[in-house]
Amino acid sequence: MDLLDIIDTLQSVADGVLFGTTYAMLGIGFTLIFGVMHKINLAYAAASIGAAYASLLILAGLKAPPALVFLLAAVSGGVIGGLIYLICFRFIPLANPLATLMSTVGMLLLIDEIIVHTTAGVPLAYPALFSDVIVRAGPFTLRGDLMFVFVLGCACMVLLLALLYRTKLGLATRAVSQQPAAARLCGIDLARVNALTFVITGLVGGMAGAMTGAAIGMLSPLLSLPLTVKGLIVTVIGGLGSIPGAIIAGLLVGGLENLFQSLRGVSERDLYVMLLLFVFLVFRPGGLFGSVGERS
Amino acid sequence: MSFARTSALSAALAFALLAAPGDADAQERTVKITGFGAKSGVVRVFGINSEAALKAAAEQINNAGGVTLGDGAKAKIVIEFLDDRCNAEEGISVVRRIASSDAFVAVGPTCSNVAESLFGILQKKVGDATDTGLQFPIIADVAAKGGLAKISEWSFRNVPSEFEMYKSLFAWLKTKHPDLKTIYGGVEKDFAHSNATFGVMKAQAEANGLQVLGQGEWLLADTTFSTQVREMKRANADIVAISAHPFTTCGALKEMERQGVKPKLLIGLTSSSSIETLQGCAKQAEGIIIPTSFAPVTPEAKNAAEQVAKFGGSADLHSAAAYEVMFILKDVIEKQKIIAKPDTVAADRVKMREGLAALKETNGLLGKIGRTADREAIKPFLYVHAKDGSWQVLHKPAS
Repeated sequence: MDLLDIIDTLQSVADGVLFGTTYAMLGIGFTLIFGVMHKINLAYAAASIGAAYASLLILAGLKAPPALVFLLAAVSGGVIGGLIYLICFRFIPLANPLATLMSTVGMLLLIDEIIVHTTAGVPLAYPALFSDVIVRAGPFTLRGDLMFVFVLGCACMVLLLALLYRTKLGLATRAVSQQPAAARLCGIDLARVNALTFVITGLVGGMAGAMTGAAIGMLSPLLSLPLTVKGLIVTVIGGLGSIPGAIIAGLLVGGLENLFQSLRGVSERDLYVMLLLFVFLVFRPGGLFGSVGERS
Repeated sequence: MSFARTSALSAALAFALLAAPGDADAQERTVKITGFGAKSGVVRVFGINSEAALKAAAEQINNAGGVTLGDGAKAKIVIEFLDDRCNAEEGISVVRRIASSDAFVAVGPTCSNVAESLFGILQKKVGDATDTGLQFPIIADVAAKGGLAKISEWSFRNVPSEFEMYKSLFAWLKTKHPDLKTIYGGVEKDFAHSNATFGVMKAQAEANGLQVLGQGEWLLADTTFSTQVREMKRANADIVAISAHPFTTCGALKEMERQGVKPKLLIGLTSSSSIETLQGCAKQAEGIIIPTSFAPVTPEAKNAAEQVAKFGGSADLHSAAAYEVMFILKDVIEKQKIIAKPDTVAADRVKMREGLAALKETNGLLGKIGRTADREAIKPFLYVHAKDGSWQVLHKPAS
């Protein structure tokens, strides 16, 4: 490996880490819902992409400036998140873990098909901000649009953490997450907190969908499934229920994905990412920031 | 009223009553042609376009009087289109369903992976009593991977030969741009069509004296192309050939723009010469050259494009093939004297197969289409390039 190879590899890792912000955002959504309800919402990434599509529709309808696309995607994500809670969780017996799992799988497929039927599966261009900005640092370059996505992602994460740790809603959410029975005894409305959690994670997811579209410059229904898988991997590696874990794991998975791609090629890339998942499941089931789980 | 007169009136009435349903039946004869392909999932647009093309062509045929059946009756063509989701199991299931009906031929599928599996369940050799495969003729309109029709003697295709198209394109490039010496590839590895076609591109590039400097690989649903494009940039080839469908073609082209990769010439996959590519990345695709078997350059092709649009589709090299297929089927139905009745289904299928196999030449939207012994088409083609946000004809090779 010569110097140029090393520089290219480092550049790939840097690009991957920046793109990993989107994985981190998705991981946060998965992990937050799991933390509060101890359920996996498999429709989360599909809903995020759905929100990004919705933002395009609204943007075209309102003839609004492209910069608003992120805000519109976040709002759409919040609405879709609330709907997912109503359809897949609110009236489904929560005691049966399979019931909500299956309802969210169904929702994933439904959202995918709605997108496909609305767009005929045709990929659509998605506005990217600062796409013409390239920051050069010696042999390295940093994409302006990816850096914007990275900064935006970090801002969202800070806001979310502030919401969770500095507001009454956050306190209630954490209380429900830790001791739902005690939280109820304290007068916290569990259904309301659960619904709000879905709306909040929907806002984050919508932003993640828009960031993904902006980073690629395109939207396609093809994105739902790979992003679902990546989101779940990030959630497991970060530790189920851990937001800092999801952030670190998202960036890690993004960087490692590009590293494996650079070193081993596309046909082996996903193999190593999956292997990483199994390594964590076996040797550190609690993930990076979760408690060190014990295997029975 | 005399007895004779009453009898005559009764006889006339009885005759009229008996004859009327027959006439009505003859007037209302219909022949159902079933198409199938992807109408859900990410390649839904292919199914939408194929269905629109089949319906548009059927309307043209019906407006001209319909199709003449073997018993002399005129019949209108009715199109049914089923969804196979671009999934091999679904495709097989759909065809088994069609074959269990009165259908004597089917048109499809969209995806090469479906065609490959599907043609495998058909009887390999006609008349082989030991082969219990399905004896049902299928003519493919979209599935583009090379050489699929040879899988079974019941399978036919009206798709362009990508081998011939890229062979011609690279030979033309050699004479037109002798200064171009090197080529770098970008290939979508997990899609049968794009992966196979890249092999064709590479072989033809080498055959025409181009040095292949390497290839970047990605998957159909990939989101980042920075690593591959960086390798491409390092290779600094004169030509970049991208064998990928619109989503990743656009993803790669956008990344090339970001990294400042500007080859002297861009070549694309046949399937990317569509509206999707222009919707996704018209600016970045500017100048890309793609061989295609359809462009609205003849009066017939222009009319077909208008008719397909009326049915909510877009005419491209795939849907144009479906449009042509309907006229091929009409000719074969008439020539083979297909009866199209429930009790003649088995015989009609055999006659359709024989008729399709016997074709040496058919009419196409860009000119005559040759037929090969292994049931493939030799279609006229031309090169288009993306210019000012639309596909424009760059060159029409001499046939």
